[in-house]
Amino acid sequence: MAVASARSRGRLEHPRRLWVVGVIIVAAIGFLLAKGLGSSINYFETVNQAVALRSSLGTTTFRMEGVVVRGTVHQTSRGTDFSMRSHGVTVPVVNTSSPPQLFAPGRAVVVVGHFARGTDKFLSNEIMVKHSANYVAAHPNRVKPGANGSS
Amino acid sequence: MIITRRQARRPLTSSSSRRPGSLVRTATGVVGLASVAATVWLGLWVTPPSTNLGQLVRLLYIHPPVAWVAYLAFGVTAAASLLYLWRRTRSVVWDRLAAASGEVGVLFCGLTLVSGSIWGKATWGVWWTWDARLTSTALLFVLYLGYLALRRVPSDPGTRAKRSAVAAILAFADVPISYLSVYWWKTLHQTGTVLNPQRQVHVHGLMAWTLLLGFCAFTLVYAWLVAHRYAVEALAERQQGEGLARALAERRAEGRAA
Repeated sequence: MAVASARSRGRLEHPRRLWVVGVIIVAAIGFLLAKGLGSSINYFETVNQAVALRSSLGTTTFRMEGVVVRGTVHQTSRGTDFSMRSHGVTVPVVNTSSPPQLFAPGRAVVVVGHFARGTDKFLSNEIMVKHSANYVAAHPNRVKPGANGSS
Repeated sequence: MIITRRQARRPLTSSSSRRPGSLVRTATGVVGLASVAATVWLGLWVTPPSTNLGQLVRLLYIHPPVAWVAYLAFGVTAAASLLYLWRRTRSVVWDRLAAASGEVGVLFCGLTLVSGSIWGKATWGVWWTWDARLTSTALLFVLYLGYLALRRVPSDPGTRAKRSAVAAILAFADVPISYLSVYWWKTLHQTGTVLNPQRQVHVHGLMAWTLLLGFCAFTLVYAWLVAHRYAVEALAERQQGEGLARALAERRAEGRAA
């Protein structure tokens, strides 16, 4: 009985306020998703997209995704230089950070940086390695170890 | 009068409903924790390294199962909240279940963020990045943390239950967004390992079985924790009720003495 009266009191007291709060929360979440997550939603440009957007991007910093081209990786005094390719378009990357341990030719990576003014080079100071959700057993007894690489 | 009713109810709750319930609960906990131990053993010592990730593949057996439990927990909270809001099924049972599952869900969402961050540092090379999957998962954590905070705002139990039920359902909107973010947008995070729309699992042999065991293990641990949290909530409510009854009785006794 006490429960029933508390229930009806709760229902009568603020149904409208509850809805207003609800609408505000929904609007806030919607706003966050639309605006705040903007850069999350377009997390990177692929190499070909970046090249196509070259003139509008200028020297602004963004993330670029592509596959590390085999045979292009070489150590420099500043870091590691290599080329990245996506959909047949290749961009040379001048990188000034130490690459993550899974960085290897043939792997998909995301680099953070910008195009160098007046050249076709991309200057990067951060490399992130992408990997797929395919988990295939390595057979260390059968294949001679090529580090943890799929080379 | 209140006291006699309470006294009549007490033996019923302690003998008939408590014992079998707690037996199932204990069994769930024992099996769940043993399965977690088995998952760790298989994951660390028995399963092979993978072609792309090498030894770093081993967090596969922890991170996706923990993330799944977070989604499941918030799903249970949202479903229980709906059942509470619907007048025909309204019961304090659903409110307690929503609270218990929400709390355990926040724990597992936190574990998802931590295990993912460690795995990310090892494989991607960064502890954190604002891609859509990571951002929406962080948002999920904060939303349900807010839900737990809302539950602690003082008010009468009926209002609190309704208010938090609405919040839980609204917050659940982020679960499908988080899950589908890797398909909707460009992300650093890989796509779904098991629960992907293609229903294709690209995990080999023993690695797949270990992953499956991990999913079952953490789901059982979740059920065990929720059962305990539910029981604690029910006991706390009972204690509150009894405290009120005792206080009333004392005031009445004072009145008679005066």
